[in-house]
Amino acid sequence: MRFTAIRTLCAGLAVGVLLAPVLVYGQQKSPGGSDALPDWSGIWQMQGGTVFDASTMTPKGVATGTPNAREFPPYTPEFEKMYLENIKKVADGRFPDPVNTCGTPHGWPRAINLPDVYEFVVRPEQTWILGENGPAIVRIYTDGRKHPEPDDLWPTYTGDSVGHWEGDTLVFDTVSSRGWLIDKDVIVDRTGLILSDKLHTVTRIHKVDPNTLELVMTLDDEKALTKPWTITKRYRKMPAGTRAYDYGCAENNRNPIAASGKTLTLGPDGKPIDTDTK
Amino acid sequence: MKWTKVYTFAALFVAGALWLAAPLTAHHSSAMFDATKTTELTGTVKEFQWTNPHVWVQVNVDKSGGAGAKEEWSFEGGSPNTLSRQGWQKSTFAPGAQVTIRFNPMRDGTHAGQFVAAKFADGKTLGRWE
Repeated sequence: MRFTAIRTLCAGLAVGVLLAPVLVYGQQKSPGGSDALPDWSGIWQMQGGTVFDASTMTPKGVATGTPNAREFPPYTPEFEKMYLENIKKVADGRFPDPVNTCGTPHGWPRAINLPDVYEFVVRPEQTWILGENGPAIVRIYTDGRKHPEPDDLWPTYTGDSVGHWEGDTLVFDTVSSRGWLIDKDVIVDRTGLILSDKLHTVTRIHKVDPNTLELVMTLDDEKALTKPWTITKRYRKMPAGTRAYDYGCAENNRNPIAASGKTLTLGPDGKPIDTDTK
Repeated sequence: MKWTKVYTFAALFVAGALWLAAPLTAHHSSAMFDATKTTELTGTVKEFQWTNPHVWVQVNVDKSGGAGAKEEWSFEGGSPNTLSRQGWQKSTFAPGAQVTIRFNPMRDGTHAGQFVAAKFADGKTLGRWE
């Protein structure tokens, strides 16, 4: 009887030891903090290119910039019309991408739709999403604060994000991004996809396996959309030791945009080698 | 020495394979390049600009029919950030090296293009050569 109890105890300990790595998978104690937060360390690469909503992209599997390729957000007639105009400009090589100026942030929600790589800095009070291709820093406050009062809120490129943790899932709410209507300076992707300054998003990020982060975003926008729109992005962890670097976009920007929207190419002497004609 | 060559070849092969999957132009649209055409030119590397947002390979090419006359071409690649993670180095295109470049030419015929692949004098290739 006694030996049976010891055997049972040993078996229980063995199961516990074996299960422990599983139970704590993806979790760590934050430095100096008591909350268990998931481990999102390392360098992450967005999967599937920079099409914002690959599930509705037509033709399937093509890259942004492909003439007449498009997605199907539930657009209002006004925004559908503007999107069609943008699609025509893309086909003509005259859709101006605001980030070609190498100065302004990529904005929300484009900040989570970039090539190059990402880092996620998780702290109890805040999470930072650091996009290498930037400026693209998203600050997500998880210290219990709310969005600022309307008088203290103005449209910014990346908007205002507040959130909380539901287990190992970060859930955050973003408002007050600039959208396309303010100076036409934030796009979502290079098919010409745009949203308004009334955009409100709820974003959920969690690790679906040790090397994959999944982001699910539901967007509502009373100017641009007739109903909520949900998209999914995935990010793959790169090999250990991979580095991210600064992205000094103005260092050698040989591709300014002409007033017509055409991207020019500068020669080694700094002068355009092509002309602003079709 | 032999193994160094094997490693170098393997690194370039991996870099080439990764290049296929990488976004070529992150900073601007590629509308100025004709992706349906691939052109080839041979010349001498004048300068390799290892800079953001794009690297540029400046190549002096013998002008057709010109006695010793050269014309300078600009070939654009990805960002050094992305390329370095794919095995490229700041010295990948050494000034003075003979190189054959394959590229998507500018639609308007000016002397520039989007880098597709390169072949060096020793036969090593980079990018989508085959």
